Amino acid sequence: MSKQHNQSNLLIHLSILFAILLTLFPWPEKIALFQPHWVALLIAYWSLYAANTKVMFVAFAYGLILDILMGSLLGKHGMSLVALSFLVNKSAKKLRMTSFWQLLMMVMVWLFNDIVIRATIDWISYRYQPQWQDLIPLFTAAFIWPWLKYLLDRIQTSMRNS
Amino acid sequence: MVLMISDKNNQIAQPIRNVLSLAVVPLIKIIEWPQDIYQITQLAMSRQANLVQENNLLKEQLLDAELKVQQNVSLVAENQRLRTMLSATQNSPLATSVAFVSNISQTQNQQHVVIDQGRADGLFVGQAVLNLAGVIGQVDVLSNNFAHVILITDTTHAIPIEILRTGMRTIAYGNGEKIWLKEIPTSGDIRVGDVLVTSGFGNRFPRGLKLAEVESLAVSPDRTFKTALATPFAELDLLTEVFLIWPNQTKKSATKRSEKVTTIDTPVTKDTSLNPEETVNISEEAGHLTNPETQEKQDTDTESNEQTPQYQ
Repeated sequence: MSKQHNQSNLLIHLSILFAILLTLFPWPEKIALFQPHWVALLIAYWSLYAANTKVMFVAFAYGLILDILMGSLLGKHGMSLVALSFLVNKSAKKLRMTSFWQLLMMVMVWLFNDIVIRATIDWISYRYQPQWQDLIPLFTAAFIWPWLKYLLDRIQTSMRNS
Repeated sequence: MVLMISDKNNQIAQPIRNVLSLAVVPLIKIIEWPQDIYQITQLAMSRQANLVQENNLLKEQLLDAELKVQQNVSLVAENQRLRTMLSATQNSPLATSVAFVSNISQTQNQQHVVIDQGRADGLFVGQAVLNLAGVIGQVDVLSNNFAHVILITDTTHAIPIEILRTGMRTIAYGNGEKIWLKEIPTSGDIRVGDVLVTSGFGNRFPRGLKLAEVESLAVSPDRTFKTALATPFAELDLLTEVFLIWPNQTKKSATKRSEKVTTIDTPVTKDTSLNPEETVNISEEAGHLTNPETQEKQDTDTESNEQTPQYQ
């Protein structure tokens, strides 16, 4: 049992690390515009399915790492990710029962919230004027979410069975 | 809990940043690794003929550069003489160091580039960063082993400048793509093609570094100021290596840190960081030499062809 627990922990960290690498990867500019916030997606997934408050701390830690990597205000990503994780965690049990489309809508709402938080912090710190391009990642994320969910579900079940 | 940390972002959070940046370095390395491998294999596979050709080209450039340096020596001496006659202050020497730009994408809405030197290499916040073509920006966020450099074209960046032709001073703001002078007095003398250099005010950027060229002029909406758009000399989206400047220091062994490629460049780069300064002074004192590009070391061939007649 504990071994399985360790394994799923490992999976959480590995997947988020991979997400950070995806964020860092120097995509061409056109693609970078559509780049979803990978880490936020994964945090949302894990807080939905791991369903304990520990994920919130994980989210915070990786948020800080992202802050360092992006040279942003320390705690900016941390805060937005914790908020995201908290929102998901609060209603995780209910949400796991909902239909596919409803869940997708909820994911978009969470990610929108995440974007709003970050834009607000930017605005406070250096008068950043939000632009409509900031919302493009939201739609890519919505597109990617089902595939991500499917992939991670499969990995989890295969780990459980083995 | 989180808000507190995000609030105390300034000096207090620096230790946290340092510690965490150590954890982050492997991630950067992982991203850079395939690119390094690609470069190494490219080097290994490139034919010898190519290398010979490149070598010849570099030798030519070096010759060209050395020629200019020789001409410079006399100019510097002359300049120094004039300065002592005027009992003006001497230019303070600069120490430089080479850093490489990590090819890491930034989702931050600011124009940042990441360079591979940090606090451990003696960098400080607000340090001027240049490349061969001109000023790029300054160190904005400092971590232990890497640093974020904010570019001059960022909307939150401003830099005190001077118009080389007239000596008029103003402030240049970034506007996202180019440099924007929005506070030129309506009586100010500025033309398209004017070269902007740093004015050295504010003690961040040393005086006389090349920055941009005026591209177009306009009048501000309320007609109180003239405005101008200027294109930076440095191609800011194609940065590979940059030079960091320590003002008011003699040349220290900083350049030793530079790696393989730059062993060729370093003597050149030391000179470039010094020479624009000289140019300004010369052009102010003897008005016939107005183009700082004469001193620029790694000019393209066409440019150097244009410039050489002035010397002869």
